[in-house]
Amino acid sequence: MSDKPSITPSSESHQWSDLHHQIQYWLAGYADGELDEHHITLVEAHLAGCEACRHDAERQRMLSERLQEIPAPRLSPAFAKRLDDTLASVQTSDRRPVGQKPLEGLKHWLTRLSPSAVIGGGGWAVAMVLAAMLLVPSLTPEDPNQMAVASQIPMVNDVLADYQRVVGNDLPTPSDDADLSPPMQWANGRVLARWTTRVGGEPAEAYAVRLGNSLIVQYQISERVFFRNPDVRQAVARAGDFRTRDNELEVIGLPMQASGLLVVAPSGNVPPIDKSAMSAS
Amino acid sequence: MVNKSTDSKRAHKMRSTGSKQQFDTLVRPWRYRLYGVAQRQSASTEIAEDYTQETLLRAWRDFGQLDDQVAIYAWLLRILNRVVADGYRRDNRRRQLAPVLTTEDAVLSEHPCAAPGPFEQALKHQTDAQVMAAVRDLPDNFRQVVLLRDFEDLSYQDIAQILDLAPGTVMSRLSRGRRLLAERLIKVASDNPAASDNTHTRVTPHE
Repeated sequence: MSDKPSITPSSESHQWSDLHHQIQYWLAGYADGELDEHHITLVEAHLAGCEACRHDAERQRMLSERLQEIPAPRLSPAFAKRLDDTLASVQTSDRRPVGQKPLEGLKHWLTRLSPSAVIGGGGWAVAMVLAAMLLVPSLTPEDPNQMAVASQIPMVNDVLADYQRVVGNDLPTPSDDADLSPPMQWANGRVLARWTTRVGGEPAEAYAVRLGNSLIVQYQISERVFFRNPDVRQAVARAGDFRTRDNELEVIGLPMQASGLLVVAPSGNVPPIDKSAMSAS
Repeated sequence: MVNKSTDSKRAHKMRSTGSKQQFDTLVRPWRYRLYGVAQRQSASTEIAEDYTQETLLRAWRDFGQLDDQVAIYAWLLRILNRVVADGYRRDNRRRQLAPVLTTEDAVLSEHPCAAPGPFEQALKHQTDAQVMAAVRDLPDNFRQVVLLRDFEDLSYQDIAQILDLAPGTVMSRLSRGRRLLAERLIKVASDNPAASDNTHTRVTPHE
């Protein structure tokens, strides 16, 4: 036995092993040509005697080339336009700092909601409350003056109150077999829920639709309630529809064949009203 | 590559005169590429669109604070990176532990597809969709550097700036990320040999 510690084979092996592991962190840089001369020399000296690392460097290069071949996804013209519209909207309106953090979570969450998920998803209601509050950012349950400037027409007050209730509480859970097709459909609209409420003292069907960043509710009401007010009758006779608004919300009334439709949307985000597209006229 | 000097001069000049027009001039042209980066990290088109929109909304919010020394695209990618990270957190996608995979890993050293020739063939035979699915499944830290390097063709220096990392860390993560990706693609090839016989179909960019 020797008194001297054995430094040759095990120490060299140790050094080689350290270098071997260190160089594995540099192999991408070597494959990409991002190493300086000194490190290139070190790597190449190691690769000459290490097949595992040599193969790895080759795989790094091949993989990089393969990934670069994959074509970039294209922005659809429809989304590009929506994006431009959204940006234009926030750029011209300083009502709310754009890009507030809570909004994006709910937009994201809502975007992926399908009607079936709305129907079947347990625990969605709480998130929906938050979503609705954020989609109508200036409207909160703590804002009792919100309705102060609302129309004097009972049916309008009723739908505004129902809209506020939905925003402030939750969207009612529809039954599993509920038909979620709203009377008015928009290309990018997503129906979130349907429920029955009362408007003008009579039953009405309500449909919550997400369109862009807005929560829009359609109320299909009885014809008798719709035409009860003379202002409404005059407006429909003159312009084909009836429109009113309070501070934050706009209401559009449309006659249908045997009923009326009231669309409640955040002011400035009223979707195009295409009477010919109404499905349940 | 990210052109810092041109961007910063334009940003300085533009921001000194207005805001909306400046934003539109400096930022809007990048939305196509931003969407590409977002889409490659998203399970669906809708999520990618949300990421892109949120990134631009945040960019508008913070536009006034944009440092003249920061390249616009790098700045936007930083924002997108945070947006995506937030999205992953919301989805409860737990941060995966990044495995320490060495070149002696059994799959990489012993599998018949791991040698350079067979590996190249396996890569060619896998569809873009298969490859992209493997990229998306990488742990966050690895996926980010792979995307920024191999898809966006950014330098290690630019990636380091975007991700707040040292360039050496970018290199080590890229080495490990590609190694892990290679291992997973080799497994895909061996699990689904039929796919290797298919023609090399590309992902059809959606409309």
